[in-house]
Amino acid sequence: MTWTWFHRLGSPPYIYGLAARLTPWFAWTAAALIVGGLYGGLVLAPPDYQQGDDFRIMYVHVPTAWMSLMVYTTMAVSAAVGLIWRIKVSHAVAASCAPIGASFTFVALVTGSLWGYRMWGTYWEWDPRLTSELILLFLYLGYMGLRSAIDDTQRADRVSAVLAVVGVINVPIIHFSVLWWNSLHQAPSVMQLAKPTMPASMLIPLLMMFLGFTIMFGALLLVRLRAEILNRERTANWIREAVAS
Amino acid sequence: MNEFLYMGGYAAYVWPSYGLTLVVIVLNIVWARRLLARSREEARRRLAMQGEET
Repeated sequence: MTWTWFHRLGSPPYIYGLAARLTPWFAWTAAALIVGGLYGGLVLAPPDYQQGDDFRIMYVHVPTAWMSLMVYTTMAVSAAVGLIWRIKVSHAVAASCAPIGASFTFVALVTGSLWGYRMWGTYWEWDPRLTSELILLFLYLGYMGLRSAIDDTQRADRVSAVLAVVGVINVPIIHFSVLWWNSLHQAPSVMQLAKPTMPASMLIPLLMMFLGFTIMFGALLLVRLRAEILNRERTANWIREAVAS
Repeated sequence: MNEFLYMGGYAAYVWPSYGLTLVVIVLNIVWARRLLARSREEARRRLAMQGEET
């Protein structure tokens, strides 16, 4: 087996072209899944026997909360790969993740607050799950602030990568916070090893939203990645062709 | 239809949640596209200036 495919993954012109070709596929698949998931979640799924229609917030809260963790993990892993193997494209991926992750972390916090208000009787509590998720938002914002404070892209890549990698410790803390400490927040009912505790009519729309949001992240990342690559490959010849038209 | 909008009395919590999610999705699409358009424009300008120098 040859390693050419691996080397191509580190090659900016190859990635730039691949990202451009893949974006519409990701975008339309995500749109179809999210529209289907919305219909299933808002119309087809029956009201919860305890929470009534309030539980429908789950269909936007759980996928955005999942995104907040998944995007951060992607960012930290790419940053680590960039640090260790000095791959420019890897740093470009990490830099592209942050604004997407930050915005959906914000959505997860607000939708959680709206859901919690009627179920727990409060918009906010300094609870382990809620607090660690808020710290995640600050990690994203700190990462972005740090990057924008450093003019030299290569230095910004390295310094911000260290922050991203150190901050990844917060990801398992968020995930397991509801098991480790007494938390207002319920324990996972889908991401668990035993059978999910939900009927299919409720679960299928949720899984569609999970998948839809994940693929949407892919589409957004591909677009941002192209911009990051263009900014890093300032003098490369292939750019002339890429930006013609 | 009214019953659907009423959301069993939880309309004030359900709809803002969905509304915010939708707004942030749209903003993400707009931001990403604008970022790419700007980077392309910048690269084009840079290359034009290089062309003049040589």
